[in-house]
Amino acid sequence: MTITNSIYNVLFRRNYVFVGAVFASAFAFEMGFDTISDKVWDNLNKGRQWKDIRHRYVEEE
Amino acid sequence: MAATTLRNTIPRALRSASAPLHHPSVTAAATQVRYNTQSATDARSPFAQAGSHRTTKIPDFSKYRGGSTSGNKVFQYFMVGTMGALTAAGSKALVQDFLVNMSASADVLAMAKIEVDLSAIPEGKNIILKWRGKPVFIRHRTAAEIEEANAVKIESLRDPQTDADRVKKPEWLVMLGICTHLGCVPIGEAGDFGGWFCPCHGSHYDISGRIRRGPAPLNLEIPEYEFPEEGRLVIG
Repeated sequence: MTITNSIYNVLFRRNYVFVGAVFASAFAFEMGFDTISDKVWDNLNKGRQWKDIRHRYVEEE
Repeated sequence: MAATTLRNTIPRALRSASAPLHHPSVTAAATQVRYNTQSATDARSPFAQAGSHRTTKIPDFSKYRGGSTSGNKVFQYFMVGTMGALTAAGSKALVQDFLVNMSASADVLAMAKIEVDLSAIPEGKNIILKWRGKPVFIRHRTAAEIEEANAVKIESLRDPQTDADRVKKPEWLVMLGICTHLGCVPIGEAGDFGGWFCPCHGSHYDISGRIRRGPAPLNLEIPEYEFPEEGRLVIG
């Protein structure tokens, strides 16, 4: 009750705060989504990408 | 006096004459009498009484409602905001992907720059490199050649350019090896001016790559290049 009220008062009452929170959460969501989907992709293609086989062909200087 | 009696008698006569017209039901049934007396004393519609009743009474739903609506409100705004955030992220990714799609790919970018080791080029020699599918001339000029390039009167040239405008270091002349006439590749150390000569239509370029004679309209083009360190040249 008080928690929902305070959330409403802090976040939703003023539109600019609401829109700002929406964009900030979009940014955070995008970062998290990209990281997770990249990890899933790398996991599915383990051993087939250049970064996995680079050490066989390129000698570090 | 006669006028006043006339004035008094006329309304009376009218009243007596009109009484049976306006009140025909005085002698009628009791309900009708009551109805008529009411309309006589009150000018309002007989349905006004009925209209004053609240016919659009909204039932009380408070029994079915939860106690507070703030939780619902927060939930609704949360869902709206989440929808907006997902839409913003998705549309940003869409726009970004289209823009990235238009930019140069990695293999094109890898070919966009070449690096040259200048210590391999002795003084007074040309080399020709391929850069972005075009030949690039690099000449290590001697001091005499630099002097010769600077001695030319700019006003007499077809495409007036000083030698300093065309080189970053006077001993290194870097330019695109494409004749500005029709795109042949000129021959080095040839022509009447000690520079380049285009065999296709006979354009003569001097030691700074400027057009001196023949059909070509412009000097040989200078690509973007820089010297990141001594003895190294990066073109592109």
